[in-house]
Amino acid sequence: MGVSLGRILLAFRGFFGILFHGKLSDGLAARLGLARQAAKAAAPQPPAPDHVDGAIQILSILQRDARLIDFLMEDISAYDDEQVGAAVRTLHDLSRDTLKRYVDLVPVIDGVEGTFTSLGGTAVAKNPALVKFLGNVPAGLPQGGLLRHKGWAAKKVDLPVPKHGANVVAPAEIEIE
Amino acid sequence: MQPQFAIGIDLGTTNSALAFAPLAAVADPHQLPGASLFPIPQATNPGEVRDEPLLPSFLYLPGAVDFPPGSLALPWEAGQNYVVGRLAQKRGVENPSRLVSSAKSWLCHAGVDRGAAILPVNAPEGVAKVSPVEASRRFLEHLRRAWTQAYPEAPFEEQQVLLTVPASFDAVARELTGRAAEQAGYRDVILIEEPQAAFYAWIERHPDWRQRVGVGDLILVIDIGGGTTDFTLIAVTERAGELELERVAVGEHILLGGDNIDLALARFIEQQLAVKGVKLDTLQLHALWQNCRVGKEKLLEEGSDLQDTPVTILGKGTGLVGGTIKAKLRRADIERILLEGFFPAVSSQDMPQRARRAGLQELGLPYAADAAVTRHLARFLRQHASAAQSAAVRRGPSGLACPTHVLFNGGVLRAGLIRERLLAALNGWLEEEGLPAVLPLAGEDLMHAVARGAAYYGLARQGRGVRIRGGVARTYYVGIESAMPAVPGVPSPLKALTVAPFGMEEGSAARIPDREFGLVVGQPAEFRFFSSPLRKDDAAGSMIEDPGEEIEELAPMEVELPADGGDPGAVVPVTIESVVTETGQLQLWCVARDGRRWKLEFNVRERLAP
Repeated sequence: MGVSLGRILLAFRGFFGILFHGKLSDGLAARLGLARQAAKAAAPQPPAPDHVDGAIQILSILQRDARLIDFLMEDISAYDDEQVGAAVRTLHDLSRDTLKRYVDLVPVIDGVEGTFTSLGGTAVAKNPALVKFLGNVPAGLPQGGLLRHKGWAAKKVDLPVPKHGANVVAPAEIEIE
Repeated sequence: MQPQFAIGIDLGTTNSALAFAPLAAVADPHQLPGASLFPIPQATNPGEVRDEPLLPSFLYLPGAVDFPPGSLALPWEAGQNYVVGRLAQKRGVENPSRLVSSAKSWLCHAGVDRGAAILPVNAPEGVAKVSPVEASRRFLEHLRRAWTQAYPEAPFEEQQVLLTVPASFDAVARELTGRAAEQAGYRDVILIEEPQAAFYAWIERHPDWRQRVGVGDLILVIDIGGGTTDFTLIAVTERAGELELERVAVGEHILLGGDNIDLALARFIEQQLAVKGVKLDTLQLHALWQNCRVGKEKLLEEGSDLQDTPVTILGKGTGLVGGTIKAKLRRADIERILLEGFFPAVSSQDMPQRARRAGLQELGLPYAADAAVTRHLARFLRQHASAAQSAAVRRGPSGLACPTHVLFNGGVLRAGLIRERLLAALNGWLEEEGLPAVLPLAGEDLMHAVARGAAYYGLARQGRGVRIRGGVARTYYVGIESAMPAVPGVPSPLKALTVAPFGMEEGSAARIPDREFGLVVGQPAEFRFFSSPLRKDDAAGSMIEDPGEEIEELAPMEVELPADGGDPGAVVPVTIESVVTETGQLQLWCVARDGRRWKLEFNVRERLAP
């Protein structure tokens, strides 16, 4: 079956819509079935998720599946490298698995770092969001240069629609003995 | 409407899978279309539904504060109020008292009332429990609705569905599986034995299989899943110049699998940590169990030369680094635990121990007392297999059934080391019998082969591929009290009347005309029902005077003649007829002299003496 291209695009547009505009576009909301619910107007609609909800969602997923927030918030200065290393190996595996599950990260320029890369006339070269020029940058558009960092782009984002207003990254846990 | 697909469902003890193959016209019967896997949408986190290749066979019964409202919704059911699959498995670790696991093993456990709401066994008061049948129904319904959601133009109910059961399932467990499927909205579901399905999957992957096996060959299928181990023997015979396959023996239901191995590794590490003064709580032990499974797979992976792998349990609470516990899983330790505990080199005369061992058991299910898979295999080849009269079974001088090929199935056997252990044991026995070593048949995709093979069997049933002949895997009897003067304190001896012989084929019936029973109209009549996987030579109608230990009692069967079948209180003489349906289920009927018929129904409510 696989995820259809339509669903990928939808997820992609939804993610960036929320990330950059703080809400879903109307057309997209309609495709997700949100507008149709609004048309009924019978039950009060929960408020649409905003950019904070999206950020909290990512944090809570990385905490839930990889315990990343626990790690970042912990004071590790007291522990020796061996202890930190043991935890980090596991944490790294978990974090990477989690990230890969939700976001398909690919290099912006899939080249070998440290080698000359030609950008002659490509659209990539004109977009500062995709390429940042360093060093002796000429006044005009550079033809290329040494690839210092391949960059990362999210090719696919597959996140559920976040709940609005949840500012909880991880619930407290209480064990009943 | 003609079905468009054959859908094979592997309803596993720990994981379920669904595969499908198109039933469209096939030009060349030797080139069948392949089966595809169906990615199963399921709740993986609250508020998140994802496709996964397997549906973990876990059911979680949430309480009021388990999940946020609405977060269990499935694409086909907004008001879903229970969880099956990955999320059920994950949440069940944190709160095991609401988790139903191994429902399938409960389905074949005669020691409990399988129609009663008994699961989860340790649920606190106030939790609405479910029966093993109901739990299975929910897994099957999830698959049905997921399919129809994905393929609305080919609704599930209109497809040819093949559901796998362990070869060792008796008639009652098969009946209950069929009942669960029916209640889940399945129509005309066909049951197929798992090891046979695994062999079909091998045939599917090897269209030239006729060149790989020949007449007289005997194929041993070893299926080790997460929770169960199953053995089957398939003989290659010949009829009218065409190769034929015949399933000649099936083993007992052994509740022993990969989970036991992983738990044994975790316990070993736990002991090592205890020496250092580190104590683990239940959740940490569970995390260690999972890490040991991952570590074991990493070490035993094909081509891996790692000698050890770290297993780490992250700290509890928010103190992650500070509380981290680290240990090492060494290849040498795995090898030793496998060799000593699970796959010891034993003689083919060694039989499994009967005494129960602590540490491998959980309340309720009759887990295998002996963890040694090799000993269970020895018994299978020694007892079950050699009891088969079939001339097709190759035997050594000592009477041991001697396979020529072996097919591995189940996730555990992805590990080369474990396959080697089994081969070493088998080949040692064959050498003693003066026979050459077995040839392993290369299986692929050991986790999904059963579902794929079941779908292939759907094609084979349409006359588009080879079928394994098998029939019922046991001999079935009804008990008859001997007409002897009663002795106080001694139950009257029981005789057993054979009603369905071993190997009785699908779509056939056996009549036992010589023996008449008097049934009273309007009153329930009960028959005690027995089976034996070992006695394979009893013909329908033959009476066993002294059944002994080879025959085990199943659930009793009941029939009540309705009052309109004659005057209430009148006695109607009936004979018994057994029928194996096209879908593979055994039925018993009472037939009156005038041809009227009443079906005997299993009474699983009765609790059987262990």
